[in-house]
Amino acid sequence: MLEVSGLSVDYLLDRGNVRAVDDVSFTVGRGEFLGIVGESGCGKSTLLFAVAQLLAPPAEVAAGTVTFDGVNLVGLTDKQLSVMRWRDMSVVMQSAMNALNPVKTIGAQFKDAMRAHGKFTAEEIAVRSADVLKMVGIDPVHLGSYPHQLSGGMRQRSMIAMAMLFTPDLVIMDEPTSALDVVAQRSLMVQIKELQLAFGFAVIFVTHDMSLISHFSDRLMVMYAGQVDELGATKTVFDRPLHPYTQGLLEAFPSIRGPRVPLKGIPGNPPDLSRVPSGCRFRPRCPYAIDKCAEVAPDLYPLDGTLVRCLRREDGSLAS
Amino acid sequence: MTDELPRTELLRTESLSRHFKIGSALSRRTLHAVDDVSFAIGEREIVALAGESGSGKSTIARVLARIYKPTSGEVFFEGKPLSSMTSRQERLRYSGLVPMVFQDPFSSINPVFRVQHGVLRCLKLHRPSLSAAQRLEEAARVFDIVGLSPDMLQRFPYELSGGQRQRVGFAQALAMRPRLILADEPVSMLDVSIRIGLLNLMAKLRGEQGVSILYITHDIASARYVADRLIVMYAGQIAETGPIEDVLTHPRHPYTQLLLSAVPDPRAPLSVAAETDRGEPPRVIDPTPGCRFRWRCPLAIDRCAQVTPELAELRPAHSAACHVAQTSSDEVKAFT
Repeated sequence: MLEVSGLSVDYLLDRGNVRAVDDVSFTVGRGEFLGIVGESGCGKSTLLFAVAQLLAPPAEVAAGTVTFDGVNLVGLTDKQLSVMRWRDMSVVMQSAMNALNPVKTIGAQFKDAMRAHGKFTAEEIAVRSADVLKMVGIDPVHLGSYPHQLSGGMRQRSMIAMAMLFTPDLVIMDEPTSALDVVAQRSLMVQIKELQLAFGFAVIFVTHDMSLISHFSDRLMVMYAGQVDELGATKTVFDRPLHPYTQGLLEAFPSIRGPRVPLKGIPGNPPDLSRVPSGCRFRPRCPYAIDKCAEVAPDLYPLDGTLVRCLRREDGSLAS
Repeated sequence: MTDELPRTELLRTESLSRHFKIGSALSRRTLHAVDDVSFAIGEREIVALAGESGSGKSTIARVLARIYKPTSGEVFFEGKPLSSMTSRQERLRYSGLVPMVFQDPFSSINPVFRVQHGVLRCLKLHRPSLSAAQRLEEAARVFDIVGLSPDMLQRFPYELSGGQRQRVGFAQALAMRPRLILADEPVSMLDVSIRIGLLNLMAKLRGEQGVSILYITHDIASARYVADRLIVMYAGQIAETGPIEDVLTHPRHPYTQLLLSAVPDPRAPLSVAAETDRGEPPRVIDPTPGCRFRWRCPLAIDRCAQVTPELAELRPAHSAACHVAQTSSDEVKAFT
């Protein structure tokens, strides 16, 4: 349904172009849940914005295509895009407080979105708005509430309700739970999954918290310094991470069960994208790096059904 | 990370409450941010204070840092009540011994000065006996302890990553030779791969420098990683407290059980059977007696609506404020 191919995004800055997303390709099938994880500055949010064609200057798609339902979105005008936004594809942003209009009621914002995409009577709008709010477990009386009268969890839920107004084929979510407490986080994740199973839309879910989506996503894409490092079935990636970065990420989580073991995390910091290291971008932080890693920039290699960007995996010198 | 024998007590709160007045003159109401909270922190101890946003954990830190005055109750530091420390000298001494490290490393360092500025100012204010050369030497020493190279002192904050900035925060605290560091969500804004390094630093400061740490967090897994004891807050009160391993393996309060069931753990199978709780913590405005968790609690009985439960020891050094847990001999499970 969605096919992203060779997508690169540049930020055009005075001091030169910075490539925030570098040659990223992936597909999302109907009803699929794709998780994208990475640290801040790895390009995951930029990638989402590029897929939704929401990039604003100085960011610009430098290469590649985003094909959604057979149409290449790159290069379409806002007018052409607005027909499908909300209707076929909707986006849930990270901070609901900033995404909602603070001086309008929830109901008025729902009405705006519906009016923009067709002719509806006031009654149709009222019925549909109440329906989607009920779907996410909020009492429809809150259509008359202002965002500040809702708790953080309810605001985020009403954003999701708004994304559901037209039952789109694809919902793109950028860290929708990161401002929530663990209990609210878990209940929102369960709810997203339930809605997805009920209505069959596909989800692209971006987060920095790998453990959060371990039970919810079908496939997992790990990004590092603008590139895809690993892409495979979620369970496989968790059980048998191939890229040293993925391994490091998984080992950086303390657990609340099992023995208390000292953890190391990943030494160093993610690279500045305007000065990426030669060869493999993870090399300076990688415990397994060899000389060759500084010279050859690895490609994504298929290995047992997973794609991985690591020279030592490709030549087999690094055993599982 | 070991459970040693009773430690010497460093700081203790007694029935600490902090209320805020809200509303206009016509509808004056009181928000009970912290209500009747008593706990102690021992020497060389890391205590984790956990709870959802709005549970009062940051308010407690601010009372301990003397940013807020308690509405009622008292804080004792080295046996001496805080309210008795009125002279400038006593207050300065206290704030040097109990410094705070803040959540947001991007807004807690002055962006127009080199990072040495904050450290040197702390030294000048709190250790006036040092000469200028000694202050620089001392700044280099604390930078070394927190894992930053001394030439970082000359950098500007924008040149540092989030993790490095948070280390600067700890270096500043350390420069004052503290006894207790109040760390308010020090890692929650950092990337996952960086967090462990900071948690390890906290463990190292306790081990090598002998400081106690009050680690305020909503992340139970990271609390388990560094802390000896856990205090779980709900709606301004302590729900449960005890040695952290014991609380995690035998949670007695239904809220603690709910909290633990919600922690994402890729190494554990998804417990779909767990009842999905969609409730939210209440804002405690003009509360009436009774358990504040009762609206979300599947085990609530009549008594929970009438009498506020008190903390009672249910296992060695491990207490919970729950009527049901206190009256049943078995370990009741509200959420698994």
